[in-house]
Amino acid sequence: MIIIGEKINGSIPPVAKAIAEKDAEFIKHRAQIQADANATYIDCCASVEESIEVETLHWMIDLIQEVTDVPICIDSPSPHSCVAAIPFCKKPGLINSVSMEGDKIDVIFPVIADTKWECVALLCDDKGIPNSVERRMEVFHNVMEKAKEYGIAPSRLHIDPLVVTLSTDEEALTTFAECCRQIKAEYPDIHITSGLSNISFGLPARKNINQAFMVLAMNAGMDSAIVDPTNRDMLGMIYATDALLQNDEYCLEYIGAFREGLIGPAPKK
Amino acid sequence: MSQIQAVADAVCAGKAKLVGGLVQEALDAGCEPLEILNSGMIDAMGIVGEKFKNNEIFVPEMLVAARAMKKGVEVLKPHLSAGDTGTAGKMILGTVAGDLHDIGKNLVGMMIESAGFEVIDLGVDVPIEKFIEAVKENPDVNLVGLSALLTTTMPALRDTVKALNEQDFRSNIKIMVGGAPITQEFADEIGADAYTADAASAAQKAKELVA
Repeated sequence: MIIIGEKINGSIPPVAKAIAEKDAEFIKHRAQIQADANATYIDCCASVEESIEVETLHWMIDLIQEVTDVPICIDSPSPHSCVAAIPFCKKPGLINSVSMEGDKIDVIFPVIADTKWECVALLCDDKGIPNSVERRMEVFHNVMEKAKEYGIAPSRLHIDPLVVTLSTDEEALTTFAECCRQIKAEYPDIHITSGLSNISFGLPARKNINQAFMVLAMNAGMDSAIVDPTNRDMLGMIYATDALLQNDEYCLEYIGAFREGLIGPAPKK
Repeated sequence: MSQIQAVADAVCAGKAKLVGGLVQEALDAGCEPLEILNSGMIDAMGIVGEKFKNNEIFVPEMLVAARAMKKGVEVLKPHLSAGDTGTAGKMILGTVAGDLHDIGKNLVGMMIESAGFEVIDLGVDVPIEKFIEAVKENPDVNLVGLSALLTTTMPALRDTVKALNEQDFRSNIKIMVGGAPITQEFADEIGADAYTADAASAAQKAKELVA
């Protein structure tokens, strides 16, 4: 499972405060604990005004790279900020994200075309988030046409079929899962990802919903997720599900995560 | 010697891809093939069994260690004389009639094999006659291992031991029993020679019984 650590995001209030106060230690600590929890990428989202976004990303990326060599996931709604932040990274990472909205894909795809950078692609367009599986697959095919045009291999794409909230749409999971199945059937090497916490918005005890979603989505082919890797319950669920889905020979990853103290009962202090 | 230690470490860690090459290195360095087998692999599996018994490692880790040892033995085999492998003894193993459980039995078989025995596995739901025939067909057998996981198949275990005890070959063999509901008391009561609680202890006990 590809784990994109979500803990350094300016939309989280304590992170916003750290960014505003230039609290370097706070950012470095969050990078370190996510690296220690085996994050595959560390997401870096400034969530500040566009005029200072690039310099803020630069400051944040430098701090993350001071403590770990886990690759960066550059996260911004502005494709221009994403592209501007690429040179700050010591090694190729992930861009979060493109979609069929506006010119996002045409700004980002040509820049990463001949690199090892990977990219998250959301299945929405200028009309918003499509309701039906058919419409989302239409957007997917448009994304893939662009990928082909710029020579970006499916294995470098993390498709986010988009999660709507279960509390307002009872088909939230079934639509997502059906997209996963159809996408994987067409492109077995492609990654499918999700920033899944949206699913439980408006419901109590959200972690139950988030975990159940994770298991069902992984079963449908999701192999990447934007989550908090230091959440031991969720991480345990991910490792267990990978083992049950035959993605973990002899359960050695599961056992390893337990040994490292990442999953299972919290160690006694 | 350090080459043999490297083989042992790789077996313990379950590094199946590395063990073959390390065995070859040990051979190239002039280590005795039998020494590689005994110190590099059988003893290493003994350590693995001990760790499993002490709950330090988990079932899959024991399986990968055994798989790693197998890879090493493949490389070693052409260098061993015919009598070198399976020299510790020969065991006939099976789950008794009416019982289809095989996980525990297979772990025991694997650990006994890793301890240097040849194991003839008769499978699950094995009728009494089949055990008797198998011993008759293999006069060099010195151990019979019987497994029963259910309280409802404990009588079948009793009957199997009873039937074996009545055979002329009885003095040539030792009977080991095991399974979740089995206890030392039950083993004594039905006339078995040994009971062990887990696969690692079974391998240890097997060595003692044929010593």
